[in-house]
Amino acid sequence: MPRSRKTIKIKGINSRYATLFSLCLISFLVCAAPVHSESKFKLKLGAKGQTCLKCHEAFNKTLKSRFVHPLLKKGECIGCHVPHTSSHKGLLKTDRAKLCHDCHKEVLPENALSSHEVVVEGNCKTCHDSHGSNNKFMLLKSGNELCFDCHKDMSEDVRNARFKHKSLEKGKGCLNCHDPHSSAKSSFLLESRAPSLCLKCHQTNKVSFAKKHMNYPVQNADCSSCHNPHGSHNRGIIFDVAHAAVTEGKCTECHQQPGSLKTKKKTTQLCRECHQDMVDQTFNKNRVHWPLVDKVGCVNCHDPHATKEKKLLKGSIVNVCGRCHADTVQLQEWSIKNPKNERICEPVKKGNCIACHSPHAADKVLLIKEQDLSIDLCGRCHEWQTHSTHPIGEKFVDIRAKNLSLTCLSCHTACGTGNNPTMLTFSTTHELCIQCHVERIK
Amino acid sequence: MTKMINGSSKILLIMTGLLVAVLFVQLPFSEGAMKFRYMTSIYADDKGLGLNQPEGVACGGESLLIVADSGNGRLLRYSIKDGEIEAGAVEIKLEQIFYPIKTEINSRDEIYIFDRKLRSIVRLSPAGDFRGYLQPVGLPSPTAYVPRSFTVDRKDNIYILDILSERVLIFDPGERYVRQIKFPQEYGFFSDVAVDFRGTVIIIDVVDGKVFSAAKNSASFSPLTSSLKEYVRFPASLTVDDRGRIYLVDRNGGSIVILGQDGSFVGRQSGMGWKEGSLHYPAQMCINKKGEIFVADTRNSRVQIFKLVE
Repeated sequence: MPRSRKTIKIKGINSRYATLFSLCLISFLVCAAPVHSESKFKLKLGAKGQTCLKCHEAFNKTLKSRFVHPLLKKGECIGCHVPHTSSHKGLLKTDRAKLCHDCHKEVLPENALSSHEVVVEGNCKTCHDSHGSNNKFMLLKSGNELCFDCHKDMSEDVRNARFKHKSLEKGKGCLNCHDPHSSAKSSFLLESRAPSLCLKCHQTNKVSFAKKHMNYPVQNADCSSCHNPHGSHNRGIIFDVAHAAVTEGKCTECHQQPGSLKTKKKTTQLCRECHQDMVDQTFNKNRVHWPLVDKVGCVNCHDPHATKEKKLLKGSIVNVCGRCHADTVQLQEWSIKNPKNERICEPVKKGNCIACHSPHAADKVLLIKEQDLSIDLCGRCHEWQTHSTHPIGEKFVDIRAKNLSLTCLSCHTACGTGNNPTMLTFSTTHELCIQCHVERIK
Repeated sequence: MTKMINGSSKILLIMTGLLVAVLFVQLPFSEGAMKFRYMTSIYADDKGLGLNQPEGVACGGESLLIVADSGNGRLLRYSIKDGEIEAGAVEIKLEQIFYPIKTEINSRDEIYIFDRKLRSIVRLSPAGDFRGYLQPVGLPSPTAYVPRSFTVDRKDNIYILDILSERVLIFDPGERYVRQIKFPQEYGFFSDVAVDFRGTVIIIDVVDGKVFSAAKNSASFSPLTSSLKEYVRFPASLTVDDRGRIYLVDRNGGSIVILGQDGSFVGRQSGMGWKEGSLHYPAQMCINKKGEIFVADTRNSRVQIFKLVE
């Protein structure tokens, strides 16, 4: 007996006290939790949600929907709402933009290559009814109709296309190719990149595939460089604006014989074979746009096969120019958003850079089309005398830089001026005028 | 009274301490501070014909200045003393030059011109006589090249920024091929090249706003800076001074951004405008041995002269 007592003593703590302490701790842990959550507030049965339905009767109908949010189904309104007061609309627990993401983190992974804007902004209710609906995933509408509510241009293109992409009309529709939330593998919310995405339905090992592609080894090429996945007026859903050589199946005009995708010549020299006059005129100017003579040449801005933009441009004019001239395009964007710029220059508003600039070459700085970057150019659209009595023209010297004469651009900036009003170069008219009229300051 | 004096002394002591601390903290930053002090502008030749959108300037020795008066398709040669034009301009107008946009002077005062229309480099004698177009000897495959810009180092070697074959070509003063440095894999668009006193080749990516460098005899470029778009809008041109500091000419932003040898940001000088001291769409700049800075202020149709104050 004395021997056993001796062995139970651990570092001077009596075993009886240790046992007692353990029992107390276990009792506390067992009792404390329920006291906190339920008994403490003496909640009635169903207070977590069932009680809410007594007043919010409309949700009784929602509960009968085919798809109901699991929390509502369990009668746990307090999963998202605070019953008494909240700083957020709808008595939500937290900001609407964060609330859904707290549980549904997977819809916006950190490594996403593209994300749907409404998801990033937390506007889940744009597509979903947060309580329930008769559509799968509690969507407000079913099928493509939901997507087309916002993507109206796309909707028009898809409906009007003479040749349609079948995958848009069957199965999951838009969601056959796109993930509605985000994509970790591709841009444009695509589930994966072309051609692997296209190969889910299309087989490249068929004889017909080789025949349609003139026996060129295109099985690993980006299909969307020629085909419009949303449909087109051209057979084979080739983009509406297609290079004549493509639509006529004359691949050998540019490429070597089938078996290789190599081109016969490089860069601008290849295009010159057909567009001789245009290239000659371009190269006869003082200033050729530099990308035309680099390794990539014409293909920096134009797609050699097919696109949806005029002149086979790789995107809208402002997007193509903005790839290198992002700083100027940013000014243009600010100018459009600036409420003080009610009478913004139309080409700036539309992002039509080539209204004033010659994209291939020009004789003057900034690749301006006209001889003079100002009255001649602006005068094509603006009758300047009607809005100003300020003298301009060659006879009037700009006192700030005496080799310059007064022109429209002495006061305005053509590509946009950010937050300044009326495309002025200064933030106020006063600031502008005192540039020259110094006596006004005195 | 004694108490009051003691109180004032204490406050004074604390204030002095704070001032010393502030000065001490600021010293490392203000030590390298540099400013451009405006001196004068060149508007015309001595016959009164105004400059027309000049894009090139080259400094030679202590007094020589060559201006590429691009819009007038000519060169102007000035002699500068203490920031002032010493003698009248000598006009160099040749039928072999159409649209000069960049110019350099070598150690023998020979003039090199880059003609944008021809996309060729023209060599002139110190007096301005035509000596020929640059014709490289021994260029390896690919032999085709398109110069976007060029520069000449202290030993008169010539460096061509070849945007067709994505490389910098290096030739000796006799125009014989020496070696080439390939462009890095990822880049936007390279617009200018410079060489510092150590022989380091520096190129500027105007689209991404990054500076790349290749040490002397190095076969490849590596980034010297990350994107400088925070400081500069469209850095189309660059030059280096005797200490290896890098000057980026911000074409759209109308300013000059100064970087240290290691690519660190030192400062930004001038700004967009029409008044003297301001720049509008500037192109090339050069620095002479006296620390005088010349900038081709293209859209203001003048050349501005600044003094570098440290």
